[in-house]
Amino acid sequence: MKSTFQVSKIILFAIVVALAIFPFVSDSRTWTILLTQIFIFSILAMSYDILLGYTGIVSFGHAMFFGMGAYATAIMLDRFEPTIGIFVLSIAVGMCIAGIISFLVGLLTLRLKSHFFAMLTMAVSGLFLVLAEKWRTLTFGNDGFTFKAPEIFKDRMMYYLLVLGCLVLVYLLLRRFVDSPLGRVLIAVRENEQRTKSLGFQTLHYKVIASVVAGVIASLAGSLYAVSLRFVNTSVLTMDITLDALLMTIIGGVGTLIGPIIGAGVIELAQHYLSGLAKEHPIFERWIIFFGIVYILAVIFFPKGIVGTVKHLFWKRKNPIKIAISSKRKGIAK
Amino acid sequence: MELLINLLINGLATGMLIFLLAAGLTLIFGLMDVLNFAHGGLFAWGAFSGVWFYGVTNSFTLAILGAILTGVILGFITEKLIITPVYGNHVQQILITLGFMIVLSEMLKVVFGPNQLAAKTPPLLSGSWEIGDVIIIKYRLFIIIIGFIVFGVFQFILKRTKIGLVVRAGVMNKEMVQALGINIKQVFLYVFMAGAGLAALSGVLMAPYSGVIYAEMGMEFAILAFIVVVIGGMGSFPGSLLAAILVGLAGSFMAYYVPALSLAVNMMLMAIVLIFRPQGLFTAKG
Amino acid sequence: MSILLKVENVHTHIGQYHILQGVSFEAKAGEVSVLLGRNGAGKTTSLKTIMGLTPATSGQITFDDKSIVKNPTYQIAKDGIGYVPEDQGIFGALTVEENIKVAIRKEDEVSLARQEYVLELFPDLKKYWKKDGGHLSGGQKQMLSMARAFVNESKLLLIDEPSKGLAPVVIEKVMEAINEMKKQTTIILVEQNFMMASKIGDTYTLIDDGETVQSGLMKELIENEELKRKYLGIG
Repeated sequence: MKSTFQVSKIILFAIVVALAIFPFVSDSRTWTILLTQIFIFSILAMSYDILLGYTGIVSFGHAMFFGMGAYATAIMLDRFEPTIGIFVLSIAVGMCIAGIISFLVGLLTLRLKSHFFAMLTMAVSGLFLVLAEKWRTLTFGNDGFTFKAPEIFKDRMMYYLLVLGCLVLVYLLLRRFVDSPLGRVLIAVRENEQRTKSLGFQTLHYKVIASVVAGVIASLAGSLYAVSLRFVNTSVLTMDITLDALLMTIIGGVGTLIGPIIGAGVIELAQHYLSGLAKEHPIFERWIIFFGIVYILAVIFFPKGIVGTVKHLFWKRKNPIKIAISSKRKGIAK
Repeated sequence: MELLINLLINGLATGMLIFLLAAGLTLIFGLMDVLNFAHGGLFAWGAFSGVWFYGVTNSFTLAILGAILTGVILGFITEKLIITPVYGNHVQQILITLGFMIVLSEMLKVVFGPNQLAAKTPPLLSGSWEIGDVIIIKYRLFIIIIGFIVFGVFQFILKRTKIGLVVRAGVMNKEMVQALGINIKQVFLYVFMAGAGLAALSGVLMAPYSGVIYAEMGMEFAILAFIVVVIGGMGSFPGSLLAAILVGLAGSFMAYYVPALSLAVNMMLMAIVLIFRPQGLFTAKG
Repeated sequence: MSILLKVENVHTHIGQYHILQGVSFEAKAGEVSVLLGRNGAGKTTSLKTIMGLTPATSGQITFDDKSIVKNPTYQIAKDGIGYVPEDQGIFGALTVEENIKVAIRKEDEVSLARQEYVLELFPDLKKYWKKDGGHLSGGQKQMLSMARAFVNESKLLLIDEPSKGLAPVVIEKVMEAINEMKKQTTIILVEQNFMMASKIGDTYTLIDDGETVQSGLMKELIENEELKRKYLGIG
């Protein structure tokens, strides 16, 4: 087992290095932008994985935290100076707001059963969307507004490297988080909340912690997203963002962290190509249908997603006996 | 005074449309613990297919029947393909029905085009009556009447027929119903199809009411229906009628007096109910 | 006498838990078989497994010479097994009448006559015919639950702890009813109250830790002090 760990670490490291070198060798603007986008959504999807994959809760309101980050950064860069200092500050502000809101919402709603929680998060997130649409003096509603990014990010490559750095950092932090004793409790909650409770854990507290961590990270992704577009409108708060995070996490593989990154890559790339194909046949304008279908099939047949399924197959070859137990325990919590 | 009556009628009409959507949702949930996030998709399909049938046949009656049929067929497909495979697993159910919602609403764009469509009110129901100073828009009254008729028919079925009895018993204790020799999954399929038919009916009635239809209307309206289901109590049929009227009226009055808050009010209503009385105002589980 | 129900080496898992780990017993037609054992021994799960509510993971259940182990619950009930659960399973918001009507599969003269007959067994129910099931007393609920299971001329009745939580006077009534039903059908009874079990039961099966320990005639058990002390904590 130890050697597999080392190997996968080395592979990951090599991939990161390759990605870091990439913009220096290739001068494809499209690719730089596309990869930046993938990294940002990877961060968002990983944050969603903390909820769905590690704690076993389904939120339909994740977009609100993404939107908070996006608006915090956009508004501050627009109202104050477009400098690095303000940029960093705005990220911190967005994270704080997201942290506070996710704490309060979590405290009130996480005690509810899964259906109700899903519905309520959908409603609260809808509330923020309405708020953003009505508070036009601040947000300019659905029309949105453009703003200046810090000078240094004029260079797409610099921004690419920054986002890649954030991705690696978030991955390492979250990996630490889920491997910590706290993360273990979250997994226990996912597997059997009742039992975890009877072992003396205040499961609500742990769920709130998970939702705060997920909210804060989602806000970071939102901040990065806004600057990458230099524009923000209410679309950052819509259900579509939550759906993207959901699709990426499910297709990539829940409860793996790496899965959501792969999911983000697969979906962004496929989206890019499929919408390119739209010129040839209009059905490809509706590319999201393919994802919807793939997603449904994944939920039924491959609830572990790409990474989970590959891992499973790999492990099956090595440990044919243990598989019987693991297949029962893994996958999405009941 | 006439303002009050107008707002009342608006609120009631909207409330009825929400009720039709919520009725299926609440029974499906009560009976099988399935929260169908794709329900709004069935609503939107009802609206589009209804407008299409109306365009082809020029008969509003046929449009309504066509829409209901579409809803029932889609309900059958949804239950067999989407709900049954993940039966009993809540997280998967939530995830999969939402996924199906995406597919339903994108399919709508494939079949009917991505743009919004205009929906005409049938001539017989357009226009209004003037009684003194009060202007009553015919179509709105029509919706209210249909709503009450549907409520009456379903209430009769629930209270007076064997299948209704089984459904009510199933909402309370589905294990016991099975232990009495009833195939609850079969019953559930019927309820699901009926609920889908009601959702489609709500959609086709909504079309002339709002004048335009678009694929996203399903999700928007479904959120209202969720709110109603929560406020009314999961599984409670009369509860969903009362809650729907409440939500409809709150929406219509707020839209007039404090437009900025109209959607927010309902969501806050739901949040409060969920936090303080998660079983809803009315409860069906005995 | 012929064997109506045969349970052979049944194992049942609920979630990750292995509840039944080899339960075997048989019920002869016309007899009352009692399942005995401590709390949590697996008696209730045994009944649920027969009903298909917690399906067996392995083993065989034969009813009327047919295997029913893979059948869905409603099919098992239709085949002629009536079930009176531990919590009685009364539909609280339905009236007594409706509770009975849910159970009746086909409404005709035969079923109506049967209903009349059952109501004679439980005269209280007639008195509260239009009352909500949820408003009945514990004893009345027990009667209603038994009447509901019995109204379809079930060949076999599974009754789970009918005396639980009832006053001694009411227990007398319940026992009378069971004795009456016994003339018409076969009964498997789960009962903690040994006095009652020993009076009604013809045979017994001792279950401990999810396994059958011993089966035999009830009158043998009544005399076997050691067995009673070891597994039932009495004697």
